[in-house]
Amino acid sequence: MIASAIFPAALLATQLARAGPISTTSEPPAPGELVQQFDDLLVTTAPLAQAHKAQAPAGGGLMNPDISVIFDGVAGAANRTRASSAGDDPDFGGPAGRRTGGFAVQEVEVGFQSTVDPYFSANVFLTIPNLRGIEVEEAYAVTTSLPAGLQFKAGVFRSAAGRQNEQHLHLQDFSLRPLVNQAYLGGDGLRSPGAQLSWLMPLPFFLRLTGEILSVSPGAGPTFGGGLRSSPAFLGNVKTFSALGEAWSLFLGGSAAAGHAAPAGFTEGAELTANGPRTFLAGGDLYLKYMPPNRVANYLALAFQAEYFWRRTFADGVNSAQSDAGFYAQIVAQLSRRWHLGGRFDQLGLPASALQPKGDRISAMATFTPSEFSRLRLQGQREKVDGGGPIYEALLLLEFSIGAHGAHPF
Amino acid sequence: MWRCFKYLLPLLALAQAGPARAEPVHIVTSIETLADLARAVGGGNVKVLSLARGYQDPHFVEAKPSLLVPLSQADLLVYVGLDLEIGWLPPLVLGSRNPRIQAGAKGNLDASAAIDVLDVPAGKVDRGQGDIHARGNPHYWLPPVNALKVAKAIAVRLKEIDPAHGADYEASLQALGAAFKARAGEWSRKAAALKGMKVVAYHKSWAYLSSWLGLREVGYVELKPGISPDPKHLAELILLMKAESVRALVIESFYNRSIAGQVADAAGARMIVLPSDVGATPRIRSYVELVDAVLDALAAVK
Repeated sequence: MIASAIFPAALLATQLARAGPISTTSEPPAPGELVQQFDDLLVTTAPLAQAHKAQAPAGGGLMNPDISVIFDGVAGAANRTRASSAGDDPDFGGPAGRRTGGFAVQEVEVGFQSTVDPYFSANVFLTIPNLRGIEVEEAYAVTTSLPAGLQFKAGVFRSAAGRQNEQHLHLQDFSLRPLVNQAYLGGDGLRSPGAQLSWLMPLPFFLRLTGEILSVSPGAGPTFGGGLRSSPAFLGNVKTFSALGEAWSLFLGGSAAAGHAAPAGFTEGAELTANGPRTFLAGGDLYLKYMPPNRVANYLALAFQAEYFWRRTFADGVNSAQSDAGFYAQIVAQLSRRWHLGGRFDQLGLPASALQPKGDRISAMATFTPSEFSRLRLQGQREKVDGGGPIYEALLLLEFSIGAHGAHPF
Repeated sequence: MWRCFKYLLPLLALAQAGPARAEPVHIVTSIETLADLARAVGGGNVKVLSLARGYQDPHFVEAKPSLLVPLSQADLLVYVGLDLEIGWLPPLVLGSRNPRIQAGAKGNLDASAAIDVLDVPAGKVDRGQGDIHARGNPHYWLPPVNALKVAKAIAVRLKEIDPAHGADYEASLQALGAAFKARAGEWSRKAAALKGMKVVAYHKSWAYLSSWLGLREVGYVELKPGISPDPKHLAELILLMKAESVRALVIESFYNRSIAGQVADAAGARMIVLPSDVGATPRIRSYVELVDAVLDALAAVK
């Protein structure tokens, strides 16, 4: 309860002084006036001429793209370094196997978004992960006016494989990418030059089919990235959505992809002389969310999310056939307007193979969102992945977003 | 490569066929007030659907993929504009793959183009001022004059899209105007009684209503637009309300009322839950009922 009595009267004086300028006062129209205003509007309808008023565009740069900058900085500590981590995971550096921590700039992302012309819309996202130099995270054009529910995308983009792969870091609920994303889609996720065609089927519910052809660069990722230029990777994805009443939503996806893995012993950046072993990847994702549209009573919302990937690496002259799989499952609860709590469990190697041994991670986080444009997150995790004993890590994230604030995809 | 296309072609042919365009003009609106106005103007020649519900905060609608289905079939999209729906509508419009409703197309109607915008920030705009709308206040549909302006803009656009029924749209607009005029006397009487009434608002969204009714907005519960208040701000606000003898604290029906209720109690004022959209409560089924409900709720305190 708010105790108003304890505040000094001096405050009152300043408040009274402030009261003037924020009030809005004008003369309400007399009864006849309102009718007159309606009539003025209606009388000109005979030709139904232009009802629009020209409005000056906001700001000077009408033709400039929407520009945004998103910063993710962390302070953290861990009992030892990781053997490998995803490209946009925070990296504190330090000697292998030793205690690590400090401050790290996990990612700076600069985004440009604009309509190109009546036919295309374009997005360019540049990213600087861990201050390691600038990378093109995505740069693509997407059609806006193909008929029959079709949409074509071309450039370098995050593949529609699963749910998290398409998301940028700041859309995620945890500060580290799930282990399966790194293990099956690569440290930077599956993002490559390529083309995508998707079809929103003309049905009374949401069903979208997506096909992709991707030139995965040699060595980029453990599943693909072993194909010569003439052997791209192919991916198909289906997504469907059900609104279970107004509060519940179920979003399901399935993916299948085929390509070539890098041959054993291949290092990124080297020249490929032949296709690596053929690989097949299948995955499923599920997102179940409870959020009542009317939030008067409280802000409680719940979201459960899980993804599963299974991979078959076929035998060739050198390598034997391998199958392995992994998943993660997470739950995030919104407790109030500004607080979210969540937990995630990651499992690799179920089943395990020579390529992908067993490993797991348990994470918990609490996120405070002062406004739509900033976020603080405390996250802790225990990780048993690389055989060097468990890693215990704590992270404190500061995220901010300036400039254009993009909409949140579901 | 050809092998690939061979399988794609029948799929493409199927896609091209699509559903035959239905007879009525399919209108999708962002909020229910716009849907009600579109229904009034479109009559039997249109089918109208609102993406958001009247009891929902129009700033924060979830961009559910299911909303893509009506958008993909829409002939006309009517939205509030001034960045009100910027957090959810743009990806839905792009994702709908519907060329008829993309920005710049005939079927894309930004209703704010029809009204005189208030609260356009002067000077430098930044988010230190809160989550402000840089292009002006988008909560403009409550004064009936603005609603009629929007209805007229919808009629103009419908006539362009469906010229065969142009006369119908004109007649429906006139009928809506007549319905407004029939209520004008009572609305103006009630408005006159509210003139000069001091109010504190939860969110800075009533500028157009205050301007119409001559309300004096003394302060806001939110620290800044979209920013939750801190205890110091609330304590100051309560002192201010007492000093200014503010008797009414107005809050939209979709906000959590616990803080506003405590402030109103502490300041000896009454919290008035004002509906801000058609469908805010089950009893508000039309725009005329919305205006009546707002005026009656304010009059109950005066």
